[in-house]
Amino acid sequence: MKSLRRFFTRLCNLMTRRAQEERLREEIAEHIALQIAENLRAGFSPVEARRQAMLKFGGVEAMKQDFRAVRGLLLIENFLGDLRNAGRTISRMPGLATVTIVSLAIGIGVNTTIFSWIQMILFEPMPAVTGAASFLLVEPRTETGGYPGASWMEYRDLQTQVPALRDVVASQMVPFNVGEKGQTERTHGQLVSGNYFSALGLKPAIGRFIRPEEAERPGTEPVIVISYDYWQTRFHGAPEAVGQKVRVNERDLIVIGVAPRGFQGTMLPLKFELWVPATMAPALLGGTRDLEDRSIRAFSLIGMLRPGATREEAQAEFSTAMAQLARDYPEASAGIGGEILPFWNGPRGPQRLLISGLAILQGVMLLLLLAVCGNTANLMLARGSTRQREMAVRMALGAGRGRIASLVLSENMVLAFLGASLGAAIAVWGTTALRVAPMIGAFPILFPTRVDGFTLAFAVLLGAACGLLFSAAPAVHLARLDPQEGLRSSSNTPPRSRARKVLMGAEVGLAMVVLIAAALFLQSFRSARQTDPRFRPEGVLLAAYDLSGRNPDETSEREFAARLLERLRSLPDVEAAAMATNVPLDLHGIPARPFTVQGRVRTEPGKDRAISNTVTPGYFKVMGIPLVEGNDFAEMGDRAAPPQAIVNEEFVRRYLNGADALGRRLQMRAGSFSIIAVARNSVYDAFGEPAQPAVYLSYRDRPQDQGEIHLRTRTGNETALTSEARAVLRDLDPMLPLYDVRTFAQHIERNLYLRRIPARMFAVLGPLLLGLAAIGIYAVVSYAVARRTREIGVRLAFGATSRRVVLQIIRENLGGITWGAAIGWVLALLISVRVIAKGAVNFPVFIGVPAILLGVAALACWIPARRATRIDPMAALRHE
Amino acid sequence: MKQKTDVLQGTLALMVLKTLDVLGPLHGYGIARRIEQISGDLLAVNQGTLYPVLLKLEQEGAIASEWGASENNRRARFYRLTRAGRKQLQVETQDWEQTAAIIGRFFEAKPEDLS
Repeated sequence: MKSLRRFFTRLCNLMTRRAQEERLREEIAEHIALQIAENLRAGFSPVEARRQAMLKFGGVEAMKQDFRAVRGLLLIENFLGDLRNAGRTISRMPGLATVTIVSLAIGIGVNTTIFSWIQMILFEPMPAVTGAASFLLVEPRTETGGYPGASWMEYRDLQTQVPALRDVVASQMVPFNVGEKGQTERTHGQLVSGNYFSALGLKPAIGRFIRPEEAERPGTEPVIVISYDYWQTRFHGAPEAVGQKVRVNERDLIVIGVAPRGFQGTMLPLKFELWVPATMAPALLGGTRDLEDRSIRAFSLIGMLRPGATREEAQAEFSTAMAQLARDYPEASAGIGGEILPFWNGPRGPQRLLISGLAILQGVMLLLLLAVCGNTANLMLARGSTRQREMAVRMALGAGRGRIASLVLSENMVLAFLGASLGAAIAVWGTTALRVAPMIGAFPILFPTRVDGFTLAFAVLLGAACGLLFSAAPAVHLARLDPQEGLRSSSNTPPRSRARKVLMGAEVGLAMVVLIAAALFLQSFRSARQTDPRFRPEGVLLAAYDLSGRNPDETSEREFAARLLERLRSLPDVEAAAMATNVPLDLHGIPARPFTVQGRVRTEPGKDRAISNTVTPGYFKVMGIPLVEGNDFAEMGDRAAPPQAIVNEEFVRRYLNGADALGRRLQMRAGSFSIIAVARNSVYDAFGEPAQPAVYLSYRDRPQDQGEIHLRTRTGNETALTSEARAVLRDLDPMLPLYDVRTFAQHIERNLYLRRIPARMFAVLGPLLLGLAAIGIYAVVSYAVARRTREIGVRLAFGATSRRVVLQIIRENLGGITWGAAIGWVLALLISVRVIAKGAVNFPVFIGVPAILLGVAALACWIPARRATRIDPMAALRHE
Repeated sequence: MKQKTDVLQGTLALMVLKTLDVLGPLHGYGIARRIEQISGDLLAVNQGTLYPVLLKLEQEGAIASEWGASENNRRARFYRLTRAGRKQLQVETQDWEQTAAIIGRFFEAKPEDLS
């Protein structure tokens, strides 16, 4: 009680500090006056009376300090004092402070931005859904490790058979054709189970959501929920949107509600606009048997653990349930088990890929931040040494070592927090910039990253860590100072600080690692533009069509493709036309499929895999990929030829040891094919990739319900073909939209988009880091040289040439730098060989970067050294 | 060093309380004089150390202070004992006497008493 009361009184006293000081001063004055009066009465002379009074009272300042200690909260008072002092100190060194704050801000900003992406993928995989990270993926899994998805019937069974999960939700991604005949628009939506919205805990912006009973019986409830953005753009946010009709796949659906703002479905980063009860599938998708057929595994399942249940329990129950299903329905479920996966580790979608990429990026950027800290520590240390006198005076006046350390610490912390705030601002800007993402491939993608409290906390934490990191060395250094030593006007023997040299070396080493990483990255990125893809993307127009909404059979798919191909070829400006299921250099990659080929016996376990693309005749002509042996696929109408396959050179080299491939049998899951030709290798997934084995199959043998149209123009202006291609498709089927129309060049650009972000980051950060390293070295060397002016003067006076002195200074400083650089170089080499290039060393980078870095370092040493030797020896000797 | 001042401060506080109890409201100089007179020159302490003690006592609520006029008609701060202070004085006097008695007995003790 008493102590509490005292605390509050002290807190109040803190506020009324001035009044208190005044009162004390007055009391002391009165006390001494009374004592003097008394002494005078006792017969002392006035002077002696005063002296005796003062003696009796004792040290006024010490007493005042005692008084203050009792009066207020010394810690807070000291802290405020430190802050004020820090503000003053910082404003006295604007240049240094700016360099520090800006470099920290960039480091922290970049790290925070990357962290916000990782955080989104890990913790907020479904925007607008609270607690989305606790959802788990419920994935059936084949023996070969594939994730085929779940069938609707299976979903209905699993709902009751995995009690550890509550609210298992099913959804299927569907591209819808929305609108009236002739002007349909491709819009992505999800077919969902009845509990979809309730399980996600969402509240409609207006209207209501799909009710469980609306997803019970097939085809009875023509209702639709639209996204907030769709509502805003198509209905201008009017509340009357509810109850209106939307024409989807030639059926009228009634809008019953609008999803909350920001909600974009359950498959980040895909952005869906429409949600329809799963039971509408047959009506919307041309009588598909999705709802009855257990072998159609079209749905993705997610679920949340019941309170108290563990993932292991859910996994065990799920496995049991899948085993039971495999026994009950062997033709559809034999050999299919199940796996419960965390959301970010989903087998579909780019999360898994992104997480690993982002983790590497974050690692590199943290290294960068560490280098920035090292740099700042060095600057502070150099500056701190010039403040030895100031600190010595403070110590002589009675400041303890703790107070000195806390003084330095508070200065640096103020700098660090200023940097962190600016960094957070950069992160806010960075994340909003990223939100403006284009359609990538055929899918609308949106990364709804943002900076929230969590990310801000991360930035502040980084700032605090940096502040501690770079103030540790100067604080310790200054606090260990001997005040006697510091006060002496000239220090004859300048202390050669090991700490500074080690820091300089460490900083250069870190800079080396990051710069090499940046250079490797930029080079691989730049080579993307320069290396030959080994096909000809110039002059090719790409566009996609999709019959899946019609649920067509093989014959009609084949016929459609044949007619489409014929019409396209007859266009006057088209030199060659073809369709393919996959386009090279797509962000999503081209699938690799297992196969066996006649004449090859695999000795190691596992299966041989090759990239597989299904194409129409004429594909190689459009793409400009020559056939080195054999001829193109048989025409679409040819019924006599057996199923055909074309392989590439790498396939022949790797799997057939270069033997003659023609006529061999190739067995794939899709059937048995005869190899009729060998195509030249080309690039499939990424520029500069090592040659990959590939198999091309024909649309004639394996008709597809969708395809990417490839058109090679005769005139050189491929975009001019767009309207003609649209007209052709409209003629064939007025309800079918041609979508994702782009030139091949645009396709490549767009798919490089995600790679371009880190490339840009590196392009900006690399030179910045180099600059920082140079500033750091410059500061340290110029300080060290300034301390040795006298020594240099003596040397020069004794006849040393300035050239020799300069060389010596450079040599001394470059020693530590070279060590750091060498360690960094070896580290980068190890990482590169082990992780990135897997064996190949990029010599230009590994020689060029160290050369530039050491060159810059030498220059940063040379400038201050040179300046020091310009000094007149006599002046130098008199100096200090 | 710190230990010593603490002890001194504790006894000093008791002396202040007792002085105020006996003499009524007094200013700092008056208290210092009185303590000096009673203790003789045995307690050679700087008068200045009194002020932090006064402040501490005031914060604890044992004494209160207000401005008044001193002997030479200038503004001076007068301290007086509060009810809580009086109680505290009682308790501390008892404590002190008890402690003093115990210590006294220890000093009087002879080897045969302790065996």
